[in-house]
Amino acid sequence: MDVLTDNLDDFAAGLWVTTRLVGAAFLVAVVLGTLVAALRVSESRPLRSVGGLYVETFRNVPLLVLLFITFPGLRRGGVDINAWTAGIIALGLYTSAYVAEVLRSGVAAVSQGQREAGLSLGFGQVAVLRRIVLPQAFRTVIGPLGSITIAMIKNSAIVGASIVALDDILKEARVVNSATFQTTEAFFWAAVCYLLLTLTATAAFRGLEARYAIRR
Amino acid sequence: MRRKRPIVLLWLCVLALVLGACGGDDEEGGGGGGGGAAATPAAEVEQYPASTTMGKIQAKKQITIGVKYDVPPFGFKNPRSNAIEGFDIDFGKAVAAKLGVKPRFVEAISDNRIPFIMDGTVDLVLSTMTINPERAEEIGFTDPYFIAKGRILQKKGGGITGVEDLAGKKVCTVLGSTYEETLKEQAPDAELTLVDTYSECLESIQNGSVEAVSTDDVILTGMIIQDDSLELVKGEELTTEPYGGGFKKGDREFREFLNGVLDEYETSGAWAKAYQKWLGQYTGEKQEPPTETLSDALEAAA
Repeated sequence: MDVLTDNLDDFAAGLWVTTRLVGAAFLVAVVLGTLVAALRVSESRPLRSVGGLYVETFRNVPLLVLLFITFPGLRRGGVDINAWTAGIIALGLYTSAYVAEVLRSGVAAVSQGQREAGLSLGFGQVAVLRRIVLPQAFRTVIGPLGSITIAMIKNSAIVGASIVALDDILKEARVVNSATFQTTEAFFWAAVCYLLLTLTATAAFRGLEARYAIRR
Repeated sequence: MRRKRPIVLLWLCVLALVLGACGGDDEEGGGGGGGGAAATPAAEVEQYPASTTMGKIQAKKQITIGVKYDVPPFGFKNPRSNAIEGFDIDFGKAVAAKLGVKPRFVEAISDNRIPFIMDGTVDLVLSTMTINPERAEEIGFTDPYFIAKGRILQKKGGGITGVEDLAGKKVCTVLGSTYEETLKEQAPDAELTLVDTYSECLESIQNGSVEAVSTDDVILTGMIIQDDSLELVKGEELTTEPYGGGFKKGDREFREFLNGVLDEYETSGAWAKAYQKWLGQYTGEKQEPPTETLSDALEAAA
Protein backbone atom coordinates (compact mmCIF):
# COMPACT_ATOMS: atom_id res chain seq x y z
CA MET A 1 0.00 0.00 0.00
CA ASP A 2 2.94 2.33 0.76
CA VAL A 3 4.07 2.06 -2.82
CA LEU A 4 0.74 3.54 -3.94
CA THR A 5 0.37 6.22 -1.26
CA ASP A 6 4.01 7.39 -1.49
CA ASN A 7 3.82 7.68 -5.27
CA LEU A 8 0.21 8.72 -5.75
CA ASP A 9 1.29 11.75 -7.84
CA ASP A 10 3.14 9.52 -10.29
CA PHE A 11 0.31 7.04 -10.70
CA ALA A 12 -2.28 9.83 -11.03
CA ALA A 13 -0.14 11.61 -13.66
CA GLY A 14 0.23 8.34 -15.58
CA LEU A 15 -3.50 7.65 -15.40
CA TRP A 16 -4.24 11.13 -16.76
CA VAL A 17 -1.78 10.73 -19.64
CA THR A 18 -3.22 7.33 -20.60
CA THR A 19 -6.79 8.67 -20.32
CA ARG A 20 -6.05 11.57 -22.67
CA LEU A 21 -4.14 9.31 -25.06
CA VAL A 22 -6.89 6.68 -25.37
CA GLY A 23 -9.62 9.36 -25.45
CA ALA A 24 -8.04 11.12 -28.41
CA ALA A 25 -7.11 7.87 -30.15
CA PHE A 26 -10.70 6.62 -29.70
CA LEU A 27 -12.03 9.71 -31.50
CA VAL A 28 -9.56 9.21 -34.35
CA ALA A 29 -10.44 5.51 -34.54
CA VAL A 30 -14.21 6.01 -34.62
CA VAL A 31 -14.16 8.84 -37.16
CA LEU A 32 -11.68 7.15 -39.50
CA GLY A 33 -13.20 3.71 -38.88
CA THR A 34 -16.64 4.98 -39.90
CA LEU A 35 -15.31 6.60 -43.07
CA VAL A 36 -13.41 3.46 -44.02
CA ALA A 37 -16.41 1.25 -43.28
CA ALA A 38 -18.44 3.49 -45.62
CA LEU A 39 -15.81 2.92 -48.32
CA ARG A 40 -15.87 -0.82 -47.66
CA VAL A 41 -19.64 -1.08 -48.30
CA SER A 42 -19.80 1.40 -51.15
CA GLU A 43 -21.22 0.55 -54.57
CA SER A 44 -18.01 1.51 -56.31
CA ARG A 45 -15.38 -1.17 -56.65
CA PRO A 46 -12.31 1.14 -56.54
CA LEU A 47 -13.60 2.74 -53.33
CA ARG A 48 -14.10 -0.72 -51.81
CA SER A 49 -10.50 -1.61 -52.73
CA VAL A 50 -9.18 1.56 -51.11
CA GLY A 51 -11.06 0.68 -47.93
CA GLY A 52 -9.77 -2.88 -48.10
CA LEU A 53 -6.18 -1.75 -48.55
CA TYR A 54 -6.52 0.60 -45.57
CA VAL A 55 -7.90 -2.12 -43.31
CA GLU A 56 -5.34 -4.73 -44.34
CA THR A 57 -2.47 -2.26 -43.93
CA PHE A 58 -3.29 -0.98 -40.47
CA ARG A 59 -4.53 -4.34 -39.18
CA ASN A 60 -1.41 -6.17 -40.30
CA VAL A 61 1.34 -3.73 -39.36
CA PRO A 62 2.29 -4.22 -35.69
CA LEU A 63 1.48 -1.22 -33.50
CA LEU A 64 5.12 -0.93 -32.46
CA VAL A 65 6.15 -0.60 -36.11
CA LEU A 66 3.44 2.04 -36.70
CA LEU A 67 4.86 3.99 -33.75
CA PHE A 68 8.33 3.86 -35.28
CA ILE A 69 6.92 5.14 -38.57
CA THR A 70 4.86 7.95 -37.04
CA PHE A 71 7.52 9.26 -34.66
CA PRO A 72 11.22 8.76 -35.57
CA GLY A 73 10.23 7.89 -39.14
CA LEU A 74 8.25 11.06 -39.84
CA ARG A 75 10.74 13.22 -37.91
CA ARG A 76 13.59 11.89 -40.03
CA GLY A 77 11.43 12.65 -43.05
CA GLY A 78 11.39 16.30 -41.94
CA VAL A 79 7.95 16.38 -40.27
CA ASP A 80 8.12 18.20 -36.92
CA ILE A 81 5.71 15.86 -35.14
CA ASN A 82 5.65 15.62 -31.34
CA ALA A 83 5.34 12.50 -29.22
CA TRP A 84 1.67 13.11 -28.35
CA THR A 85 0.51 13.53 -31.92
CA ALA A 86 2.56 10.56 -33.08
CA GLY A 87 1.17 8.32 -30.34
CA ILE A 88 -2.44 9.36 -30.94
CA ILE A 89 -2.15 8.92 -34.70
CA ALA A 90 -0.51 5.49 -34.48
CA LEU A 91 -2.92 4.11 -31.88
CA GLY A 92 -5.90 5.72 -33.64
CA LEU A 93 -5.00 4.41 -37.11
CA TYR A 94 -4.29 0.94 -35.78
CA THR A 95 -7.62 0.77 -33.92
CA SER A 96 -9.60 2.37 -36.77
CA ALA A 97 -8.99 -0.70 -38.96
CA TYR A 98 -10.72 -2.87 -36.38
CA VAL A 99 -13.56 -0.37 -35.95
CA ALA A 100 -14.06 -0.36 -39.72
CA GLU A 101 -14.28 -4.16 -39.85
CA VAL A 102 -16.78 -4.32 -37.00
CA LEU A 103 -18.93 -1.60 -38.56
CA ARG A 104 -18.86 -3.38 -41.88
CA SER A 105 -20.28 -6.48 -40.23
CA GLY A 106 -22.89 -4.24 -38.59
CA VAL A 107 -23.84 -2.81 -41.99
CA ALA A 108 -24.18 -6.32 -43.36
CA ALA A 109 -26.62 -7.08 -40.55
CA VAL A 110 -28.97 -4.26 -41.62
CA SER A 111 -31.50 -5.78 -43.97
CA GLN A 112 -31.22 -4.89 -47.64
CA GLY A 113 -34.88 -3.82 -47.57
CA GLN A 114 -34.00 -0.80 -45.42
CA ARG A 115 -31.59 0.48 -48.04
CA GLU A 116 -34.00 -0.17 -50.87
CA ALA A 117 -36.82 1.55 -49.03
CA GLY A 118 -34.56 4.57 -48.40
CA LEU A 119 -33.53 4.75 -52.05
CA SER A 120 -37.12 4.47 -53.28
CA LEU A 121 -38.11 7.30 -50.95
CA GLY A 122 -35.62 9.50 -52.79
CA PHE A 123 -32.61 9.46 -50.45
CA GLY A 124 -29.21 9.42 -52.17
CA GLN A 125 -26.62 6.69 -51.58
CA VAL A 126 -24.69 8.73 -49.00
CA ALA A 127 -27.84 9.86 -47.20
CA VAL A 128 -29.13 6.30 -47.00
CA LEU A 129 -25.84 5.22 -45.47
CA ARG A 130 -25.59 8.16 -43.08
CA ARG A 131 -29.22 8.42 -41.95
CA ILE A 132 -30.55 4.88 -42.23
CA VAL A 133 -27.91 2.15 -42.44
CA LEU A 134 -25.00 3.37 -40.25
CA PRO A 135 -27.15 4.38 -37.24
CA GLN A 136 -28.59 0.87 -37.18
CA ALA A 137 -25.17 -0.67 -37.81
CA PHE A 138 -23.71 1.22 -34.84
CA ARG A 139 -26.49 -0.03 -32.60
CA THR A 140 -25.82 -3.63 -33.68
CA VAL A 141 -22.10 -3.52 -32.91
CA ILE A 142 -21.97 -1.71 -29.56
CA GLY A 143 -20.72 -4.89 -27.87
CA PRO A 144 -17.78 -5.54 -30.25
CA LEU A 145 -16.90 -1.81 -30.23
CA GLY A 146 -16.57 -2.11 -26.44
CA SER A 147 -14.13 -5.00 -26.86
CA ILE A 148 -12.07 -2.98 -29.33
CA THR A 149 -11.98 -0.03 -26.92
CA ILE A 150 -10.75 -2.24 -24.09
CA ALA A 151 -8.09 -3.74 -26.36
CA MET A 152 -7.05 -0.20 -27.33
CA ILE A 153 -6.69 0.87 -23.70
CA LYS A 154 -4.35 -2.04 -23.11
CA ASN A 155 -2.50 -1.46 -26.39
CA SER A 156 -1.83 2.12 -25.27
CA ALA A 157 0.87 0.76 -22.93
CA ILE A 158 2.99 0.11 -26.03
CA VAL A 159 3.06 3.86 -26.75
CA GLY A 160 4.77 4.58 -23.42
CA ALA A 161 7.13 1.62 -23.66
CA SER A 162 8.26 2.48 -27.20
CA ILE A 163 10.57 5.26 -28.38
CA VAL A 164 7.57 7.62 -28.28
CA ALA A 165 8.06 7.38 -24.49
CA LEU A 166 4.93 9.13 -23.21
CA ASP A 167 4.75 9.09 -19.40
CA ASP A 168 1.71 6.82 -19.23
CA ILE A 169 0.56 4.42 -16.49
CA LEU A 170 3.05 1.69 -17.33
CA LYS A 171 5.94 4.18 -17.63
CA GLU A 172 5.15 5.75 -14.26
CA ALA A 173 4.94 2.29 -12.69
CA ARG A 174 8.38 1.51 -14.09
CA VAL A 175 9.74 4.81 -12.75
CA VAL A 176 8.32 3.94 -9.32
CA ASN A 177 9.78 0.44 -9.63
CA SER A 178 13.23 1.72 -10.50
CA ALA A 179 13.16 4.05 -7.47
CA THR A 180 11.69 1.60 -4.94
CA PHE A 181 12.52 -1.85 -6.38
CA GLN A 182 9.03 -2.89 -5.24
CA THR A 183 8.32 -4.65 -8.52
CA THR A 184 5.22 -6.58 -7.54
CA GLU A 185 3.46 -3.65 -5.93
CA ALA A 186 4.41 -1.11 -8.60
CA PHE A 187 2.97 -3.24 -11.38
CA PHE A 188 0.00 -4.34 -9.30
CA TRP A 189 -1.07 -0.70 -8.96
CA ALA A 190 -0.44 -0.14 -12.66
CA ALA A 191 -2.82 -3.03 -13.35
CA VAL A 192 -5.38 -1.42 -11.04
CA CYS A 193 -5.08 1.87 -12.97
CA TYR A 194 -5.67 0.06 -16.27
CA LEU A 195 -8.62 -1.77 -14.70
CA LEU A 196 -10.11 1.58 -13.68
CA LEU A 197 -10.08 2.62 -17.33
CA THR A 198 -11.22 -0.68 -18.83
CA LEU A 199 -14.02 -1.16 -16.30
CA THR A 200 -15.19 2.41 -16.92
CA ALA A 201 -15.24 1.66 -20.63
CA THR A 202 -17.10 -1.59 -19.99
CA ALA A 203 -19.73 0.21 -17.89
CA ALA A 204 -20.12 2.94 -20.53
CA PHE A 205 -20.64 0.43 -23.31
CA ARG A 206 -23.05 -1.62 -21.14
CA GLY A 207 -25.07 1.55 -20.65
CA LEU A 208 -25.07 2.30 -24.38
CA GLU A 209 -26.06 -1.27 -25.13
CA ALA A 210 -28.95 -1.23 -22.66
CA ARG A 211 -30.20 1.96 -24.21
CA TYR A 212 -29.60 1.59 -27.91
CA ALA A 213 -28.80 -1.99 -28.84
CA ILE A 214 -31.03 -3.69 -31.37
CA ARG A 215 -31.78 -7.29 -30.57
CA ARG A 216 -32.86 -9.42 -33.47
CA MET B 1 -13.40 -12.47 -51.02
CA ARG B 2 -11.89 -12.58 -54.48
CA ARG B 3 -10.74 -8.98 -54.45
CA LYS B 4 -8.67 -9.38 -51.28
CA ARG B 5 -6.18 -11.69 -52.91
CA PRO B 6 -3.81 -9.15 -54.44
CA ILE B 7 -3.45 -7.48 -51.06
CA VAL B 8 -2.62 -10.74 -49.30
CA LEU B 9 -0.12 -11.55 -52.02
CA LEU B 10 1.46 -8.13 -51.68
CA TRP B 11 1.94 -8.63 -47.95
CA LEU B 12 3.40 -12.10 -48.51
CA CYS B 13 5.94 -10.54 -50.86
CA VAL B 14 6.90 -7.94 -48.28
CA LEU B 15 7.20 -10.67 -45.66
CA ALA B 16 9.38 -12.77 -47.92
CA LEU B 17 11.66 -9.81 -48.58
CA VAL B 18 12.00 -9.04 -44.89
CA LEU B 19 12.70 -12.67 -43.99
CA GLY B 20 15.20 -12.91 -46.81
CA ALA B 21 17.05 -9.87 -45.50
CA CYS B 22 17.15 -11.27 -41.98
CA GLY B 23 18.35 -14.68 -43.05
CA GLY B 24 21.86 -13.56 -43.89
CA ASP B 25 22.77 -12.59 -40.37
CA ASP B 26 23.50 -15.99 -38.89
CA GLU B 27 26.51 -16.89 -40.99
CA GLU B 28 29.29 -16.06 -38.60
CA GLY B 29 27.51 -17.42 -35.57
CA GLY B 30 26.60 -15.49 -32.44
CA GLY B 31 28.07 -15.71 -29.00
CA GLY B 32 31.08 -13.92 -27.72
CA GLY B 33 33.49 -15.59 -30.13
CA GLY B 34 36.66 -13.97 -31.38
CA GLY B 35 38.10 -13.54 -27.93
CA GLY B 36 41.11 -15.71 -28.67
CA ALA B 37 42.96 -17.08 -25.69
CA ALA B 38 40.63 -15.57 -23.10
CA ALA B 39 37.64 -17.59 -24.31
CA THR B 40 39.31 -21.00 -24.42
CA PRO B 41 39.34 -22.87 -21.12
CA ALA B 42 42.89 -22.96 -19.80
CA ALA B 43 44.51 -26.30 -19.15
CA GLU B 44 44.84 -25.92 -15.41
CA VAL B 45 42.16 -23.98 -13.56
CA GLU B 46 41.42 -24.05 -9.90
CA GLN B 47 38.46 -26.29 -9.02
CA TYR B 48 36.15 -24.66 -6.49
CA PRO B 49 34.01 -26.48 -3.89
CA ALA B 50 30.68 -27.54 -5.39
CA SER B 51 28.73 -25.57 -2.79
CA THR B 52 30.12 -22.21 -3.92
CA THR B 53 28.77 -20.16 -6.82
CA MET B 54 32.09 -20.75 -8.60
CA GLY B 55 31.71 -24.52 -8.17
CA LYS B 56 28.15 -24.42 -9.49
CA ILE B 57 29.24 -22.44 -12.51
CA GLN B 58 32.05 -24.94 -13.16
CA ALA B 59 29.53 -27.81 -12.92
CA LYS B 60 27.36 -26.07 -15.55
CA LYS B 61 30.50 -25.46 -17.67
CA GLN B 62 29.27 -21.97 -18.48
CA ILE B 63 28.77 -18.61 -16.80
CA THR B 64 25.78 -16.49 -17.82
CA ILE B 65 26.67 -12.80 -17.87
CA GLY B 66 24.16 -10.00 -18.40
CA VAL B 67 25.61 -7.27 -20.60
CA LYS B 68 24.45 -4.35 -22.73
CA TYR B 69 23.91 -5.07 -26.42
CA ASP B 70 23.67 -1.44 -27.49
CA VAL B 71 26.26 0.52 -25.51
CA PRO B 72 29.46 0.80 -27.48
CA PRO B 73 32.21 0.62 -26.44
CA PHE B 74 31.22 -1.32 -23.29
CA GLY B 75 28.84 -3.94 -24.58
CA PHE B 76 27.46 -4.05 -28.09
CA LYS B 77 26.56 -6.41 -30.88
CA ASN B 78 29.03 -5.99 -33.70
CA PRO B 79 26.80 -5.50 -36.75
CA ARG B 80 29.29 -7.24 -39.06
CA SER B 81 30.15 -10.36 -37.07
CA ASN B 82 27.10 -10.45 -34.77
CA ALA B 83 29.49 -11.10 -31.86
CA ILE B 84 29.00 -9.29 -28.55
CA GLU B 85 32.02 -7.08 -27.91
CA GLY B 86 33.30 -4.36 -25.63
CA PHE B 87 35.11 -3.45 -22.44
CA ASP B 88 32.57 -5.25 -20.21
CA ILE B 89 32.71 -8.31 -22.44
CA ASP B 90 36.52 -8.52 -22.24
CA PHE B 91 36.33 -8.47 -18.45
CA GLY B 92 33.56 -11.09 -18.53
CA LYS B 93 35.77 -13.34 -20.65
CA ALA B 94 38.58 -12.95 -18.12
CA VAL B 95 36.20 -14.07 -15.34
CA ALA B 96 35.09 -17.08 -17.40
CA ALA B 97 38.69 -18.00 -18.25
CA LYS B 98 39.59 -17.97 -14.56
CA LEU B 99 36.84 -20.56 -13.96
CA GLY B 100 37.70 -22.54 -17.08
CA VAL B 101 34.14 -22.20 -18.41
CA LYS B 102 32.50 -20.71 -21.47
CA PRO B 103 30.95 -17.23 -21.11
CA ARG B 104 27.34 -16.91 -22.29
CA PHE B 105 26.35 -13.28 -22.80
CA VAL B 106 22.69 -12.29 -22.55
CA GLU B 107 21.18 -8.83 -22.96
CA ALA B 108 20.42 -7.06 -19.68
CA ILE B 109 18.93 -3.57 -20.09
CA SER B 110 19.11 -1.08 -17.21
CA ASP B 111 15.54 -1.78 -16.17
CA ASN B 112 15.79 -5.57 -15.91
CA ARG B 113 19.36 -6.32 -14.85
CA ILE B 114 18.66 -6.25 -11.09
CA PRO B 115 15.63 -8.59 -11.38
CA PHE B 116 17.83 -10.83 -13.59
CA ILE B 117 20.35 -11.13 -10.74
CA MET B 118 17.69 -11.67 -8.10
CA ASP B 119 15.85 -14.42 -10.00
CA GLY B 120 19.04 -16.18 -11.12
CA THR B 121 18.63 -15.55 -14.86
CA VAL B 122 22.27 -14.43 -14.87
CA ASP B 123 25.23 -15.29 -12.64
CA LEU B 124 26.86 -11.91 -13.09
CA VAL B 125 25.97 -8.53 -14.55
CA LEU B 126 28.60 -6.40 -16.28
CA SER B 127 26.51 -3.71 -17.91
CA THR B 128 27.86 -0.22 -17.19
CA MET B 129 26.13 -0.42 -13.79
CA THR B 130 26.90 2.35 -11.32
CA ILE B 131 27.47 1.32 -7.72
CA ASN B 132 25.02 3.10 -5.40
CA PRO B 133 23.58 2.42 -1.94
CA GLU B 134 20.01 1.75 -3.16
CA ARG B 135 21.23 -0.95 -5.51
CA ALA B 136 23.60 -2.33 -2.86
CA GLU B 137 20.48 -3.06 -0.78
CA GLU B 138 19.27 -5.40 -3.51
CA ILE B 139 22.39 -6.98 -5.00
CA GLY B 140 26.08 -7.56 -4.30
CA PHE B 141 28.75 -5.45 -6.03
CA THR B 142 32.40 -6.02 -6.93
CA ASP B 143 34.96 -3.26 -6.40
CA PRO B 144 34.68 -0.60 -9.11
CA TYR B 145 36.21 -1.81 -12.35
CA PHE B 146 35.79 1.51 -14.14
CA ILE B 147 35.06 5.12 -13.17
CA ALA B 148 32.84 7.00 -15.59
CA LYS B 149 31.68 10.62 -15.37
CA GLY B 150 28.24 12.06 -15.92
CA ARG B 151 28.16 14.44 -18.90
CA ILE B 152 25.73 15.98 -21.38
CA LEU B 153 25.61 15.31 -25.12
CA GLN B 154 24.15 17.73 -27.65
CA LYS B 155 24.15 18.39 -31.38
CA LYS B 156 27.21 20.44 -32.35
CA GLY B 157 26.42 24.10 -31.73
CA GLY B 158 23.37 23.19 -29.61
CA GLY B 159 24.04 26.09 -27.25
CA ILE B 160 23.99 24.12 -23.99
CA THR B 161 26.94 25.10 -21.80
CA GLY B 162 26.09 23.43 -18.52
CA VAL B 163 23.47 21.58 -16.54
CA GLU B 164 21.55 24.82 -15.82
CA ASP B 165 20.83 25.22 -19.54
CA LEU B 166 18.78 22.03 -19.51
CA ALA B 167 15.80 23.85 -17.95
CA GLY B 168 12.80 23.62 -20.29
CA LYS B 169 14.70 21.39 -22.71
CA LYS B 170 13.86 17.80 -23.61
CA VAL B 171 16.57 15.52 -22.22
CA CYS B 172 16.79 11.79 -22.89
CA THR B 173 18.10 9.19 -20.50
CA VAL B 174 17.40 5.56 -19.74
CA LEU B 175 14.66 4.41 -17.40
CA GLY B 176 16.17 2.70 -14.37
CA SER B 177 19.58 4.39 -14.74
CA THR B 178 21.04 6.68 -12.05
CA TYR B 179 20.53 9.73 -14.31
CA GLU B 180 16.79 9.56 -13.77
CA GLU B 181 17.46 10.77 -10.19
CA THR B 182 20.51 12.90 -11.01
CA LEU B 183 18.63 14.92 -13.62
CA LYS B 184 15.57 15.35 -11.41
CA GLU B 185 17.89 16.85 -8.77
CA GLN B 186 20.32 18.89 -10.87
CA ALA B 187 17.93 19.95 -13.66
CA PRO B 188 14.47 19.89 -12.08
CA ASP B 189 13.00 22.01 -14.90
CA ALA B 190 14.22 19.75 -17.70
CA GLU B 191 11.63 17.68 -19.52
CA LEU B 192 12.78 14.06 -19.19
CA THR B 193 12.25 11.52 -21.94
CA LEU B 194 12.76 8.08 -20.41
CA VAL B 195 13.39 5.22 -22.82
CA ASP B 196 14.63 1.64 -22.52
CA THR B 197 17.96 1.75 -24.28
CA TYR B 198 20.71 4.24 -25.10
CA SER B 199 20.25 3.51 -28.79
CA GLU B 200 16.75 5.01 -28.45
CA CYS B 201 18.32 8.14 -26.90
CA LEU B 202 20.74 8.34 -29.83
CA GLU B 203 17.85 8.00 -32.30
CA SER B 204 15.91 10.68 -30.41
CA ILE B 205 18.71 13.27 -30.47
CA GLN B 206 19.44 12.47 -34.12
CA ASN B 207 15.81 12.99 -35.18
CA GLY B 208 15.56 16.07 -32.98
CA SER B 209 12.80 14.90 -30.65
CA VAL B 210 15.14 15.62 -27.71
CA GLU B 211 17.80 18.33 -27.43
CA ALA B 212 20.24 16.58 -25.12
CA VAL B 213 21.20 13.18 -23.77
CA SER B 214 22.74 12.82 -20.34
CA THR B 215 24.52 9.75 -19.07
CA ASP B 216 28.05 8.38 -18.53
CA ASP B 217 30.76 10.01 -20.67
CA VAL B 218 31.88 6.65 -22.06
CA ILE B 219 28.41 5.83 -23.33
CA LEU B 220 28.16 9.31 -24.87
CA THR B 221 31.59 8.80 -26.44
CA GLY B 222 30.17 5.65 -28.02
CA MET B 223 27.42 7.79 -29.58
CA ILE B 224 29.95 10.30 -30.92
CA ILE B 225 31.91 7.41 -32.47
CA GLN B 226 28.70 6.54 -34.37
CA ASP B 227 27.70 10.12 -35.22
CA ASP B 228 30.27 12.90 -35.24
CA SER B 229 27.66 15.66 -35.55
CA LEU B 230 27.24 15.26 -31.79
CA GLU B 231 29.49 16.71 -29.08
CA LEU B 232 30.00 16.56 -25.32
CA VAL B 233 29.12 19.72 -23.39
CA LYS B 234 32.39 21.00 -21.89
CA GLY B 235 32.66 21.79 -18.24
CA GLU B 236 32.04 20.22 -14.93
CA GLU B 237 30.77 16.66 -14.72
CA LEU B 238 27.36 16.03 -13.16
CA THR B 239 28.45 12.94 -11.28
CA THR B 240 31.16 10.32 -10.91
CA GLU B 241 29.93 6.86 -11.72
CA PRO B 242 31.92 3.88 -10.45
CA TYR B 243 30.93 0.79 -12.43
CA GLY B 244 30.68 -2.47 -10.52
CA GLY B 245 29.86 -6.05 -11.43
CA GLY B 246 26.57 -7.21 -9.89
CA PHE B 247 25.66 -10.60 -8.43
CA LYS B 248 23.32 -12.11 -5.84
CA LYS B 249 23.42 -10.22 -2.55
CA GLY B 250 25.31 -11.87 0.29
CA ASP B 251 27.48 -14.17 -1.86
CA ARG B 252 30.78 -13.32 -0.13
CA GLU B 253 32.89 -16.05 -1.74
CA PHE B 254 31.81 -15.00 -5.22
CA ARG B 255 32.62 -11.37 -4.43
CA GLU B 256 36.12 -12.25 -3.19
CA PHE B 257 36.66 -14.38 -6.25
CA LEU B 258 35.53 -11.59 -8.60
CA ASN B 259 37.63 -8.96 -6.82
CA GLY B 260 40.62 -11.33 -7.14
CA VAL B 261 40.03 -11.63 -10.88
CA LEU B 262 39.72 -7.84 -11.10
CA ASP B 263 43.01 -7.24 -9.21
CA GLU B 264 44.83 -9.60 -11.50
CA TYR B 265 43.14 -8.02 -14.56
CA GLU B 266 44.35 -4.60 -13.49
CA THR B 267 47.91 -5.51 -12.44
CA SER B 268 48.60 -7.75 -15.45
CA GLY B 269 48.06 -4.85 -17.84
CA ALA B 270 44.95 -6.45 -19.36
CA TRP B 271 42.82 -3.56 -18.06
CA ALA B 272 45.05 -0.96 -19.73
CA LYS B 273 44.99 -2.92 -22.98
CA ALA B 274 41.20 -3.12 -22.93
CA TYR B 275 40.98 0.61 -22.13
CA GLN B 276 43.19 1.54 -25.06
CA LYS B 277 41.29 -0.81 -27.39
CA TRP B 278 37.78 0.38 -26.53
CA LEU B 279 38.21 3.99 -25.37
CA GLY B 280 41.73 5.42 -25.54
CA GLN B 281 42.06 5.17 -29.31
CA TYR B 282 38.88 7.23 -29.80
CA THR B 283 39.24 9.85 -27.07
CA GLY B 284 43.02 10.15 -27.08
CA GLU B 285 42.81 10.29 -23.29
CA LYS B 286 44.57 8.10 -20.76
CA GLN B 287 43.13 6.61 -17.60
CA GLU B 288 44.51 4.49 -14.77
CA PRO B 289 42.61 1.47 -13.43
CA PRO B 290 40.42 2.47 -10.48
CA THR B 291 41.96 2.03 -7.04
CA GLU B 292 38.75 2.68 -5.08
CA THR B 293 37.11 -0.14 -3.18
CA LEU B 294 33.41 -0.87 -3.00
CA SER B 295 33.06 0.91 0.33
CA ASP B 296 34.83 4.03 -1.05
CA ALA B 297 32.33 4.07 -3.89
CA LEU B 298 29.35 3.62 -1.57
CA GLU B 299 30.55 6.36 0.78
CA ALA B 300 31.10 8.78 -2.07
CA ALA B 301 27.56 8.13 -3.29
CA ALA B 302 25.92 8.45 0.13
